[in-house]
Amino acid sequence: MKIAMGILQIVLLVTGAPLLRGIVGRLKAVLQRRQGASIWRPYSDLWKLLHKEDLAPPSASAVFGLAPLLLFATSILVTAFIPLLADSALLGSAGDFILLVYLLAFGRFFLALGGIDGGSAFGGMGASREALVSSLAEAPLLLGLVAVAIQSSSASIVGMTRWALGKSFFNISAVHLLAFLALSIVALAETGRMPVDNPTTHLELTMIHEGMVLEYSGPNLALIEWASAIKLSAIVGLLIALFAPWGMATTPSLAALGLGVVAWLAKTFALVAALAVIESGIAKLRMYSVPDFLGVAAAISTLAVIFTALMKG
Amino acid sequence: MVGLDSKQGFHSLVKFLIIHRLKQASGLIAALISVAALSGCSAGDRGLLNSEVRKLDPSPLAPFPFTFSLDRLGSFFMILICAVALPVLIFSVSYVSRHYTAARQKWLWALLLVFIASMVGVVAASSGFAFLVAWEIMSLTSAGLILLEGSSGERRHNLFIYLLMTHAGTAAVIASFLVFLPHSHTLDFAAIRAAGASLPHGVRIALFLLAFVGFGTKAGIIPLHLWLPRAHPIAPSPVSALMSGVMLKIAVYGFVRFAFDFLAGGPSWFGYLVLAAGAVSGLLGVLYAIAEHDLKRLLAYHSVENIGIIYLGLGASLVFMAHDARVWAALALAGALLHTLNHALFKSLLFLGAGAIADSTHTVDLEELGGLQRRMPVTGAVFLIGCCSIIGLPLFNGFISEWMIFRSFLGGSILVNTNAQIILPLMVGVLALIGGLAAACFVKVFGVAFLGRPRSQEAERASEAPLSMRAGMILLAGACVVIGTWPGAFLRPIVSLAQSLVGATAAPPEALAIARVIPWVAAALLALLGAVAVLKRAKRLTPTWACGLPGLTSRMQYTSTAFSKPIRFVFARVYKADRRLEVLPEDQPYFPASISYHSERTTSYERALYRPFVDAVVAAANQLRRLQTGNIQVYLLYIVLTLVCLLIYLRFAG
Repeated sequence: MKIAMGILQIVLLVTGAPLLRGIVGRLKAVLQRRQGASIWRPYSDLWKLLHKEDLAPPSASAVFGLAPLLLFATSILVTAFIPLLADSALLGSAGDFILLVYLLAFGRFFLALGGIDGGSAFGGMGASREALVSSLAEAPLLLGLVAVAIQSSSASIVGMTRWALGKSFFNISAVHLLAFLALSIVALAETGRMPVDNPTTHLELTMIHEGMVLEYSGPNLALIEWASAIKLSAIVGLLIALFAPWGMATTPSLAALGLGVVAWLAKTFALVAALAVIESGIAKLRMYSVPDFLGVAAAISTLAVIFTALMKG
Repeated sequence: MVGLDSKQGFHSLVKFLIIHRLKQASGLIAALISVAALSGCSAGDRGLLNSEVRKLDPSPLAPFPFTFSLDRLGSFFMILICAVALPVLIFSVSYVSRHYTAARQKWLWALLLVFIASMVGVVAASSGFAFLVAWEIMSLTSAGLILLEGSSGERRHNLFIYLLMTHAGTAAVIASFLVFLPHSHTLDFAAIRAAGASLPHGVRIALFLLAFVGFGTKAGIIPLHLWLPRAHPIAPSPVSALMSGVMLKIAVYGFVRFAFDFLAGGPSWFGYLVLAAGAVSGLLGVLYAIAEHDLKRLLAYHSVENIGIIYLGLGASLVFMAHDARVWAALALAGALLHTLNHALFKSLLFLGAGAIADSTHTVDLEELGGLQRRMPVTGAVFLIGCCSIIGLPLFNGFISEWMIFRSFLGGSILVNTNAQIILPLMVGVLALIGGLAAACFVKVFGVAFLGRPRSQEAERASEAPLSMRAGMILLAGACVVIGTWPGAFLRPIVSLAQSLVGATAAPPEALAIARVIPWVAAALLALLGAVAVLKRAKRLTPTWACGLPGLTSRMQYTSTAFSKPIRFVFARVYKADRRLEVLPEDQPYFPASISYHSERTTSYERALYRPFVDAVVAAANQLRRLQTGNIQVYLLYIVLTLVCLLIYLRFAG
C-alpha cells in the first residue's frame, strides 16, 4: 500500500509538472492582461520536441548527450523524497534532506557541463552564472532545512512532515516562518524564476538557464524542459510538505486520500498563484544583485538555526 | 611480523635497485612493488579488523627505542598508503619511461620507493624516535623528487620555502614529543598514551597546540599552507599525486594520533580551534582554487580545501568528546577518516589525470586546453569521476564522507545549553558553501579542459594516454565508485575504528542508514537512465549557433578566467587582487600604441603574515652577525665567558 502510494505520488509529480508550468504561464498572462496560451500547452511542446531530430554541435562529446538524461533521472529521484497526498514517500524516510539537496546538485552539475560542451560563448556564460547562483544558494537551502530538521528532531522529509502534522497551524514557531522565508527565496533561485533568472528570456545579458540549454534541441531539450518543470513542482511540494502539510492522509482510507488530493491541489494552486504574482510584480535583479538576494536568505536561515537553540533553551 | 612484510619488502627492493643498477627494469620493479603494496594492503586489512598489535623491535641496533608496530589506526593509514601507491606506481611505469632519461629514471624510482616506505614507516612507528626518523625521510625524499623535475631558480626558491616550512612544522612535532618526555619518561607510544591520561592542564594545552601547528603545517591548513600550492605543482605528476593524496594524510594521521589517541580530547575549545581552522582552510582553499587556471596549482588548493573538510570533521568530533557525546563523536571522526581515504583516492586520481593531460598536450594551463574528452575518452571519463567525487555528488565516495560530517553537525543540536548547540548546526552552512563553490570550480575544470573546442594546437593534437597510465587511473576511479555506491563494507571497519578512538560504546546508527539507502538510490538511478535512454534518437551534427554569423572560433568560448569572474567579483575582498593597467603613450589615452594589463592575486598572506616575520628573522640575524667578528681573540673570550657562566650556574643550581 505504502509503495503503491509512493509510486502514485511520483507519477503525479512527474506527469503533472508540465501542467503546473502551464498554469503559472496562464496566471501570469491573466495578471498582465494578455490572452495567454492554454494551460496544456507545455504538453504539446514536449510532444513536439520528442518527435524531432536530435541535433548536436560537432564539438560535442558524450557528456552533451548524457547531461539531459542524468538531469531528468535525478529530477525523478528527487520526487521520490516528497510526501504529497499522504505522509509517506518512497525514499522519504530512508533518505534525508542532504541526499535530496545533493541529488539536485547532481543534475545541475551535468547540465552546466552540457552547456559548455556546445562550444559557444553562450553555454559557458550560462554555466558560469549558474555556478555562481547555485553555489551561493546551497548554504541557505541546507541551513533552512537544518532549522526544520532540528525543530522536528528528524533528518528525513517525511519525519519533518509528520512532526508538522502533529502541530496545529496556530502553534507554528518563528523558526518555521524564518525557514519558510529563506527556503522560498532559495526556491526562486533553484528553479530559475524571477527575480533571479527569467525563464522566458533569450537576451544574453540576462539569461542563465536558457544560456546553458541554447545548443539543445529535440528530445534532449524536451528532457531538460520536463526536468525543470519537475523540479518546480517538486520544490513546491517540498515547501508544502515542510510548512503546511495539513490535510495529508495519515490513514490508508479513501476518504482521507480524497481530502489529501483536494488539500494538495488547493495549496499548490495558492503557491503557484503567489509565484505568478511575484514574477509579474518584480523586475529581474541585476546579475550582481543576486548574491545579495541570496545573502538575505542565508542571513534569515542562519537566524532560524540560532532560534532553534533559543527555543529548546 | 606479518604487518611489516611490505616495509621490509620496500627496503629490500631499494637495496636491490641501488646495488644492481638496473637499466630497463621499470616493469619488473613496478610488478614487485605491486606485490609489496598488495601485501601491505592485506596486512593493513588484517590489522584494521583485529585489535591485536604486531610488533617489530630492532632497538638493540639503535641508541634509542626504535620500535614499529601496527595498531588499528596505523593499519587504516597503511591501507590508504598502499591503496593509492599501487595505482600511482602502475601509472608511473609508462609516465616515467616517457619523460625522463635513464639516469633520472633510476633516481626517480629509488626515491619514489624510499618515499613510500618512509610513509609506511611513519604510520607503523610505535616510538617517537622511529616516527621522527621516518617523518624526516619522508620530507627529504619528497623534496628530492621535486628536484628531479628540474632545478631552475624559481623551482629552487619554491623548494626552499617547502623545506623551510616543513622543518618548522617538524620542529613543533619534535617539541611536542619532548614535552611528553618528562611525563612519560620514554618515547614509546604505549607509555605516552598512559601518560596522556594524567597530564597537568597547561602541559595538555601546550601539547595540543604544538601538535596542531606542527601537523597543521604539513597538512597545509591556512595560514600555514604557503608551501603547498608552490611545492605540489612543480613535482612530477605521480609524485604530486602521492604528495597531495598520501603525504598530507600522514599529517592528518599524526594529528589524530596526538589529539585522539594520546590526549584523548580535551576542553571544547580544542574542537572549536580545529573547526575554525577547517572552516577557514576549506573556504579560502576553494576560493583560491577557483581563481587558478594552472590545473596542478588549482588541485593543490583543493587539497587545502579538503584538508579543511577533514579538520571540520575532526573538530566536531573533539567538541562532541568534550561534551561526552561519544557516539556523535564517533560519527564525526568516522566521517573525517573516510574523507581522508576518499580524498587520497580522488585527489591522486585527479593529479594523475593532470599528468596524463600534460603527457599528451605538454601543458596544464586550462586556457590552452579544451575538447580533450573526444580525444582522450578514457582519461576524460575517469577525470569526470574524480570531479564528481571531489564535489561530493551522491553515488561517488566524497558524498558519503561529507554526508557523515553534515549529519554530525546536525547532531550538535542535542548538546542543549552549550555553544555547540548553535555553532555546530551553523557549520552545515559553511560546509554547504564549500561544497557549492567546489562544484562551481569543477564545472570550470572539466568544462574548460575536456569539453567544447580545443583552444590550442597541442590540445587539438592530443591523443589518449598509454595503457599503464589509463590502468592506474581506472583503478582509482573504480575505488571511488565502489565506495560511493556500496559504502557499507568500508563504513563498518572505519566506524569501529572511530568508536575505539573516542571510546564510544555503540556505533552511530546514521552510518548504517546511509549504507542501506545508497545502493538503492544507485540502482534506481541506473534503471531510470536505462528507461529514459529509450527516448533518444540518432543524432545529426549541426554547427554551433553563432548568432547567424560565420566564423565561430574556439577563442570565442568562455575561458577559465572568464568562467570564474562572477565568483571572483562577488568574493573580491578575499583575493585583494593587485591590478595595474598601463597605457602607452600616456598623453594619448584614446589612441594607445600599447596597453598592458597586469594582475596578481593571493599574495596577501605573504605581505600581511609572513613578510613581517621574515623581516624580523633577518633583522635578528643581522644583529647576531655582530657576534661574528672574525677575530679569534673574541671567540676565545666567548668560550671563557660561557665556561664561567656554566660554572656559576653549577655552583648555585647544585
